[in-house]
Amino acid sequence: MVENRPLSTLIAHAILWMGIAIVVFPVYLTFVASTHEPAEIVNGTMGFLPGGLPLQNYVDALFTGTKQIKSTPVLQMMGNSLVMALVIAIGKIAISIISAYAVVFFRFPFRMFFFWTIFVTLMLPVEVRIYPTYKIVSDLGMLNTYAGLTIPLIASATATLLFRQFFLTIPDELVEAAKIDGAGPMKFFRDVVLPLSRTNMAALFVILFIYGWNQYLWPLLVTTDASMDTIVYGIRRMIVTSDAQTDWHIVMATTMLAMLPPVFVVFAMQKLFVKGLVETEK
Amino acid sequence: MRKVIFKGTALPLLLIAPQIAVTMIFFYWPALQAVWQSFLIQDAFGTTTQFVWFENYQYLFKDPSYYNSMAVTAVFSTAVAVLSLGLALLLAVMADKQIKGAGTYKVLLMWPYAVAPAVAGVLWLFMFQPSLGVLAQVLRNLGLDWNPLLDGTHAMVLVVLAASWKQISYNFLFFLAGLQSIPKSLIEAAAIDGAGPRRRFWTVVFPLLSPTAFFLLVVNIVYVFFDTFGIVDAVTHGGPAKATETMVYKVFQDGRLGGDLGGSAAQSVILMAIVIGLTAIQFKYIERRVHY
Amino acid sequence: MATVELKGVRKSYGTTRVIHGIDLEIADGELVVIVGPSGCGKSTLLRMVAGLEAITEGTIAIDGAVVNQREPKDRDIAMVFQNYALYPHMSVYDNMAYGLRNRGMAKDEIDRRVRAAAQTLELAALLDRKPRQLSGGQRQRVAMGRAIVREPKAFLFDEPLSNLDAKLRVQMRVEIKKLQRQLGVTSLYVTHDQVEAMTMADRLVVMNAGVAEQIGTPMELYARPASVFVAGFIGSPSMNFLPGRLAGGVVGLAGGTSIPVNGAAPSAAGEVTVGIRPEHVEPGAPGAPLKLKVELIERLGSESLIYGRLEGGGELTARIDGEREIATGATLALGVTTRHLHLFDRASGKRLN
Repeated sequence: MVENRPLSTLIAHAILWMGIAIVVFPVYLTFVASTHEPAEIVNGTMGFLPGGLPLQNYVDALFTGTKQIKSTPVLQMMGNSLVMALVIAIGKIAISIISAYAVVFFRFPFRMFFFWTIFVTLMLPVEVRIYPTYKIVSDLGMLNTYAGLTIPLIASATATLLFRQFFLTIPDELVEAAKIDGAGPMKFFRDVVLPLSRTNMAALFVILFIYGWNQYLWPLLVTTDASMDTIVYGIRRMIVTSDAQTDWHIVMATTMLAMLPPVFVVFAMQKLFVKGLVETEK
Repeated sequence: MRKVIFKGTALPLLLIAPQIAVTMIFFYWPALQAVWQSFLIQDAFGTTTQFVWFENYQYLFKDPSYYNSMAVTAVFSTAVAVLSLGLALLLAVMADKQIKGAGTYKVLLMWPYAVAPAVAGVLWLFMFQPSLGVLAQVLRNLGLDWNPLLDGTHAMVLVVLAASWKQISYNFLFFLAGLQSIPKSLIEAAAIDGAGPRRRFWTVVFPLLSPTAFFLLVVNIVYVFFDTFGIVDAVTHGGPAKATETMVYKVFQDGRLGGDLGGSAAQSVILMAIVIGLTAIQFKYIERRVHY
Repeated sequence: MATVELKGVRKSYGTTRVIHGIDLEIADGELVVIVGPSGCGKSTLLRMVAGLEAITEGTIAIDGAVVNQREPKDRDIAMVFQNYALYPHMSVYDNMAYGLRNRGMAKDEIDRRVRAAAQTLELAALLDRKPRQLSGGQRQRVAMGRAIVREPKAFLFDEPLSNLDAKLRVQMRVEIKKLQRQLGVTSLYVTHDQVEAMTMADRLVVMNAGVAEQIGTPMELYARPASVFVAGFIGSPSMNFLPGRLAGGVVGLAGGTSIPVNGAAPSAAGEVTVGIRPEHVEPGAPGAPLKLKVELIERLGSESLIYGRLEGGGELTARIDGEREIATGATLALGVTTRHLHLFDRASGKRLN
């Protein structure tokens, strides 16, 4: 910066740390609750420091779930979430990269029509077609299946646009050099386009994994069988309006577990995460 | 448009087929169904269906609860936009000053993006749970009869806090990127021209940041419209007395268990129109950004 | 080793014709350079030989076989691109080996060829690097290496040096020329740089607006340019052009100067363009017919470039011995030997003498 004023720097740091405190506090409190006895939580004597059960609530949550309202063990829910997040992320990347490849590297009848068909889906989020989509999934017999949880969410205009944008930056000469080197379209895709797209795919994967893991409305619609609950939706089923019946200590441990994988991904792949976030919004 | 391409028709059609198939089956067909259903009324047992033109829409626009959901959505969006954009901008400006620490702050502030809206709702619900929430107790001690389960305003405050909390990280990242893309020489030129830090911010930095701010405004509105479904469902179920029933939540509630499918579909169609409008605005913005 | 033969080659995009019929025979081992301004169609022509552009009309034959319908990979050619077109994610080794692997060549043969090429190009120590870790000159060499390992019937060069800085360009052009001699591979080389063209070519093709204006050795083109375009394009600084009138074997310039000319048909008469190269005027020659008012002098050391205005009107550039003392503002008498006088028809631009 232009000036160098120690006081203003100090204030800036203070404001930033306050911001971080605001962001961290709810999670910290949840963590605290996840280490306390249920009674301490319910009668309000929990306080602001971790309790005496560092692991017990987690073990109970993972292998048993809530008891008053019988829930699926959280480990199973996490398994469901993992399958959903992975299939959605990988599926979206796979079908988007091949369709973008087709649109960019070939000329074929109705090319632009197809492109716009994909593009317009940006304007059709699940929320505006809740019941008809549910009905189709139900008619196809995909309720309470992994296929039903994932396939309808697998089309992606955003990912297709991103790959298209990237493919347009591949120099023509590289394609020509490959042609002279004897590479056909599939060989070029495998040997050149895929390796060059690695960073983009990884960045997309981070964003789409989070997207898939955090799905809420869709599992709510297509899964009725508790054994198919994803963790994000499962938490909601553990909380009942009559407080006495909610096993808050388990709910809190489950909440921590629900945040863990996507937050871990963000921390582990910061650069890719930011890249993915910025590029998918273009 | 590329100049250099590969020959062939079958291969590209094969490559694009999966995406088109999923899109047709799970996007276009249901969207059309929604439009079609919005012109139909089904009796309670689902045995007879009648084509009624715009009756569902007329009914909707006479229904005070629909206006309520619009008002809720408007208040919700505005509050989240003001709160999360404002706070994110403040934090981003502060972080942008710290040449050394910016990276660390970025990491410490960006992770809530990864928290599911529903989970964010649970975090805040727990803190403000009237009987056992730690912060609810603080409010109670301050003499406020805090109870989001009974008081609509309290419920709204709670969902706004949860939604804003989650959105700060996203806004912060984009504001910081916007700030960091402003050439330092421009700030230095303004300083040489005699502008102090505050003046520089409002006359140089802020105008250059306004495209980012506008973009984020649209994104935040879209976020509140659609992504906050999980927060509302986890924290308030739209209550108490529909005080937090957003438009999307109402679509869900009205059509639930085969209820008013026609009315729900009509609402879906209106939402579609809104998304199209918002997307169009966003594109206008992108176009402008491209021309810079 | 092979010949390359172009017969009546034309190219149209829709109704726009960009190449108007080129005939060219490249002998075995010969290096032919196509030179011309940007947009003249030289790259398009090269890409047609490579098979990257369809041929609208005419035939292209490599080693006697017509290749019009063959895919680039089946033409047995190798190409060096302007931006090198190296695969950014592959090592130097893999960049060179890729084309050979696609052809199903045995592993140890690929290895032998790549290492031999790397030796020749002094890339042996860089084989594991990625293109982004190389300097511009090194990338250029890798692009060359990729062509060499193929041991093709012909090399095609598409402005391979224009992304290099001036010093490196001079150095690389010598290396490419040497290498081409040593390997004896028939080559077609496209450039817009006339110095590069002159120094490298066995024969030159000067192209303008889709037409081959002239084909010949560098010295033929320099000494007897067939048109105003070629005359202006070849040689640096450019040839001076003055309007004149030809009658009875004498050409009259503005201001009443007249110079006798050789080689023009005695009966020829009319409006002409007179071409004089800057290096072919001699200061102070007896009976010097041109009077030049000196406006600017560029001293290059061994020689000086004099820019000035002729007494009768018109601008002229002269290139003279650097040791001669000349002052700005002075008037210089300049002579021209008749054998160095180029005469072109004013309307058509074609050579007359």
